[in-house]
Amino acid sequence: MAWAETIVQALKNWDTSLIAYVPDISIHQVTSLIDADPYFHLVSATREEEAIGIAVGAYAVGRNAAVFMQSSGFGNSVNALASLCIPARTPIPIFINLRGGPGEFNLAQVPMGRTTRPIMDLLGLVHFTLEDEHRMDTLVNGALKLCHANRQPVAICVTQMLHGGKIA
Amino acid sequence: MLRLEATRQILDQAGQRPIVANLGPTSDELWHAGHRDRNFYTYGSMGLCSSIALGMALSTQEQVISLDGDGSLLMNLGTIATIGREQPKNLIVVVWDNEQWAQTGHQPSHTAYGTNLDQVARSCGIEKTAVVDDLEDLKSAFGQALEQDGPWFIVAKIQETEYLEVAPVEPEFTLYRFRESFKT
Repeated sequence: MAWAETIVQALKNWDTSLIAYVPDISIHQVTSLIDADPYFHLVSATREEEAIGIAVGAYAVGRNAAVFMQSSGFGNSVNALASLCIPARTPIPIFINLRGGPGEFNLAQVPMGRTTRPIMDLLGLVHFTLEDEHRMDTLVNGALKLCHANRQPVAICVTQMLHGGKIA
Repeated sequence: MLRLEATRQILDQAGQRPIVANLGPTSDELWHAGHRDRNFYTYGSMGLCSSIALGMALSTQEQVISLDGDGSLLMNLGTIATIGREQPKNLIVVVWDNEQWAQTGHQPSHTAYGTNLDQVARSCGIEKTAVVDDLEDLKSAFGQALEQDGPWFIVAKIQETEYLEVAPVEPEFTLYRFRESFKT
């Protein structure tokens, strides 16, 4: 199973049917599958913090939700995580295309890409990084299990190494 | 119209419908007006009140009410566009518009200088809108919103007044108390 399908299947395994996102060219490989699948409701947000708010709202009435974004947008979502998602103990898996690594062409993507995981560490936000498909199924499903057991958001970073060593 | 009396009016008409409240005095006054399991108070995440309510409306059949504020919504105008795009029939947004950031020192907000949130909503494809500035009109507009499919967007002009005590609530307890009330 290719990496994008593995993520889609893991979301289904954890009954996660509302997906809020801000478009990203690599994440598109997953969100296009989600958009075509009637199991999911894909909500296009205008900004990443809005996507976090929508996901928390869904969970608050009993529906599991996840968020997709790019690392640049993670910067836009920090306060939503710090003052809503984390203090309310909301288990939202957040899938992030981590820019700024091998293959990056845009220097403006590097600072936020390189600081995304240190910021997560400062927030106490558990995160995993996918560099290749080896044991990816175990890792993604395990991350979602941890997310719900811990009742806290979990970040799963996908990298250019995973989706072909290029941006798109 | 004072926000507290307007909040009491909304509560009186809302029955058991879930209500999400903007941070600060809007949440505090909702608690003082009538604490209930289906009040979702917020504590930070300024600007996300109606985004949270949108996520709820897309995930339950029940009507969901957002009590937002002009200063907060100005921080996240994009969510009005998302509501317009999603067209949830069961979402009612009420914006307490005091034309200022009252808590931080009464600095005038953009609605004091001509920004018309009602027109923003309409231009985002939200056709059911109202602007009210007294309790009678609020009761009428909100009553209509409860009867007719939305999304609804009601701008309620309010006067600022002294604050009540901060409500004794906290985020985790709020979320799980609220969530429990949706279990069948």
